[in-house]
Amino acid sequence: MTRLVELLVAGVSLGAIYALIAVGFVVVYKGTRVINFAQGSMLLLGGYVVATLSPDIGFWPAVVAGAAASGLAAVVVRVLMSWSSTDDHMVLTIVTIGVDVVLATELIRRIGPRLLTMGDPWGDDVLNLGPVTVPQARIAATVTAALLLAAFFAVFAFTDWGVTMRAAADDPETASLMGIRLGRVATSSWLLGGALAAVAGVYLAAFPSAGLDSHAGVVALGAVPAVILGGLDSLHGAVIGAVVIGLVEALANGYGAELSFLGRGFGSVAPFLVMAAVLLWRPSGLFGTRELTRV
Amino acid sequence: MSSAWSREWPAPRRVASAAAVLVMLAPPFYLDGYWLLIGILAMSAAVGAIGLNLLVGSAGQLSLAHGFFIAVGAYTYCFAAGESEGVGGGVDVVGLNLPPLVAAVVAIGAAGLAGLLFSPVASRIRGIYLGLASLALVVLGQHVLFNAATVTGGFNGRPVPDLTVSGFELSGDDPALNLLQVPFGERERMWYVALACLCGASLFAVRLLAGRPGRALALVRDNEIAAAAMGIPVARHKRAVFVLSSLYAGLAGVLLALAFHRVVPEYFGLALSVDYLAMVVIGGLGSVFGSVVGAAVVTALPLLLSRYSSQLPLLAQPGESGVDAGVAARFLYGAVVVALLLSEPGGLVAVVTRLRRRPTPPPPRPPQQPTPRPGSAKDLATKGEAT
Amino acid sequence: MTAAGAIALHDVTLRFGGVSALDGVSFEVEPGTIHGLVGPNGAGKSSCLNVISGVYRPTSGTAWYGEHELTRLPPHRIAALGVGRTFQNLAQSGRQTVLENLMMARHHLTRSGFVTSGLGLPRARREEREHRARVCEIAEFLGLGDRVDTPTGVLPYGDRKRVEIARAVALEPSLLLLDEPVAGMDAEESAVIARTVRRLRDGLGLTVILIEHDVPLVMQLAERVTVLDFGKVLADGTPEQVRTHPDVVRAYLGAEAEPGDEPGGLRDGGTSR
Repeated sequence: MTRLVELLVAGVSLGAIYALIAVGFVVVYKGTRVINFAQGSMLLLGGYVVATLSPDIGFWPAVVAGAAASGLAAVVVRVLMSWSSTDDHMVLTIVTIGVDVVLATELIRRIGPRLLTMGDPWGDDVLNLGPVTVPQARIAATVTAALLLAAFFAVFAFTDWGVTMRAAADDPETASLMGIRLGRVATSSWLLGGALAAVAGVYLAAFPSAGLDSHAGVVALGAVPAVILGGLDSLHGAVIGAVVIGLVEALANGYGAELSFLGRGFGSVAPFLVMAAVLLWRPSGLFGTRELTRV
Repeated sequence: MSSAWSREWPAPRRVASAAAVLVMLAPPFYLDGYWLLIGILAMSAAVGAIGLNLLVGSAGQLSLAHGFFIAVGAYTYCFAAGESEGVGGGVDVVGLNLPPLVAAVVAIGAAGLAGLLFSPVASRIRGIYLGLASLALVVLGQHVLFNAATVTGGFNGRPVPDLTVSGFELSGDDPALNLLQVPFGERERMWYVALACLCGASLFAVRLLAGRPGRALALVRDNEIAAAAMGIPVARHKRAVFVLSSLYAGLAGVLLALAFHRVVPEYFGLALSVDYLAMVVIGGLGSVFGSVVGAAVVTALPLLLSRYSSQLPLLAQPGESGVDAGVAARFLYGAVVVALLLSEPGGLVAVVTRLRRRPTPPPPRPPQQPTPRPGSAKDLATKGEAT
Repeated sequence: MTAAGAIALHDVTLRFGGVSALDGVSFEVEPGTIHGLVGPNGAGKSSCLNVISGVYRPTSGTAWYGEHELTRLPPHRIAALGVGRTFQNLAQSGRQTVLENLMMARHHLTRSGFVTSGLGLPRARREEREHRARVCEIAEFLGLGDRVDTPTGVLPYGDRKRVEIARAVALEPSLLLLDEPVAGMDAEESAVIARTVRRLRDGLGLTVILIEHDVPLVMQLAERVTVLDFGKVLADGTPEQVRTHPDVVRAYLGAEAEPGDEPGGLRDGGTSR
């Protein structure tokens, strides 16, 4: 029973991190109709900046710097795309794949075989709630993610920027005719996507692994099932999907011994089975917009 | 009447292709094993790239699962043609011990079957979305390759049986053969195997694109609704091109396996899929010839850079810190992908065409009656009956 | 169920979220006639075509083409029944030539599949030859004969509109759905297209449903007209009947209009959009 509770906590906190990444995907998609395949390397960039700067300027300032760095990288990508001779979204999506290759290659080279520490204040400390042991890092991740996402949703629902975003996402043509600067919406959505990825990177470095290594970008891929489950154009779906996926992964990992017949490392693969099932049954995801036409 | 293939394959280009094939018959007599291997790998990759280009460039469906289907082809060949044996590290694998040629066909079929199973997903979601969805195949595929050790050999993989036809090894050195005083060993033979496969694969793709299916795919890519309104069954075409693409990948997988002599799971990951995407982009989306060019570039670049890294100023040697050949190659083609897509999505092929700037003369038109003005009743009277 | 070749909409309602694009729309089109569909922007005219051609499934109601219930069929099967259409926003493959775009409409008339085409079998080659010849004739008929090998993306707007029509004709339709075929054209070009439409109907025995903002053109060309507004049918009859129908007059001129007033918009083709 204790074990189950601990796994649930682990699942929710993992889901919180995935939620940051997933929301980043969805925001960029809603803003520009492009899938940002460079999200993983932006996460890695953010984490790398934090790890490099935190000994000098302290943890929280470093986090801000990391988020800014990733946000800036995202904006650069978005500006590059605006120079494109085509607005074919598939072509632009492949551009993000190219960016990912370049960015990831450089970061992996710099990180090398090292395991980077973030200099975070919670370290390996645990909190004991009765019989249940919870690493503080996980609590920090969940709280931070919850706060950030709550702020984000509030901004999205109640501010001018949020309304502008939603209008542009729903009907870019009309929005543009109404004076909404689609370019600005696009840039801000990329900025946000990048920043969220960086914060996620900081916490990913805390757990499941003990530091940031060169594979962190790939771990970010674990958020993709969340996006598919929730629906590519649904922010709420992204969060809900992320929590579900986090739970699935934590439980599959936790019961790994019992599930060993499914292969080693099944935990990180289980979400993709869920993803495949969703694709076969309801491709637009739980909360995504169903296609209207019957083609 | 302008020939059916006049756009993808105008007469001058057909002549050039035929000439190129003739030229490609020569290298085994002149080049050494290292260069032949690059050529074999490039030609095998080209087969895969053509398949991916049909899916991504011609039909507008983004896929990152190409590495998965290549793996299916490679591993199925090993399983079908191989023996049940120990492969080291305490791992025993099973094999069906089929004749290699049969096994190769089975392998390609298996890749196609895998494509068929996933194709309903491909047909029901948008092109870009498929890119995300295809990640599931890569991840799940990697998991199976690493864990289903009795079939795949697990972490260390398994050896690749030779392609032996009637006792003659096509991917090996036995029996010894000398042609025109050149010893024809494994590399020389595989060169022609790969070349033959590439020629067949290209011809099929070119014809397909120039004909009815190619047009249908183009409209499916450019405007699905219009395609349906023109009588094109959109979902069926998306499924069909996905299966076709996976068949090409299966063939590429067999060829690569024969060239490497061993298959290991690590090779068939996401990076491989990204490599093929790069080939397709660099060569030119939607162009068969571009796929070949792109495959050659992406395959040869890292190998050439590492061979000559000691002579190139900026590159670090293995063991030194800094940018080594492998990293440099990845940088280069990542950057080229971005640069090309932003400026010329038609890839290198389109860049070259633009540079040449020679306007292609319109193909000769059929002898016609004097152009009637639109709406002339005479024209309708002679042509008119509706079906 | 309708008479052979007749088109009918029975109480078709089409809702998107909270908006009703069509609300209980019913009308019939006699085979072999040119039927106009007019109304202000957003009235639901294109939605009618989309329901008929199968792109949208109505929330309720049915559409029929002879004995075929269109609302049950996917778009490509409806096209195979002989329903050809144009799109307001020019749904062509810009990178492909005029000829290739027209050939796309021959899909349901040809059979070469992936394997036959890929292997270059004689059947595939023969089909290509025959259908290219036919499609070239159609291109000639629409004044595109000297541009068949030009990619449509580089053609001027008027030519691209012609390609839309030519493509619909290349499908060998028995029913032709035209969505604003002369939008953006000057008077002379419009007249040519109008003549072409009439000739197509006369020569091929087509039924034509024509959406246009160029109201004089519709009035002159169509035998019957249906007027839509806010997704509802306002009037349905001959051009004369519709022109003087009080609801129509009100919709175009406002509530103070007297019956007997002729709405200027209906007489001299107001600016579209």
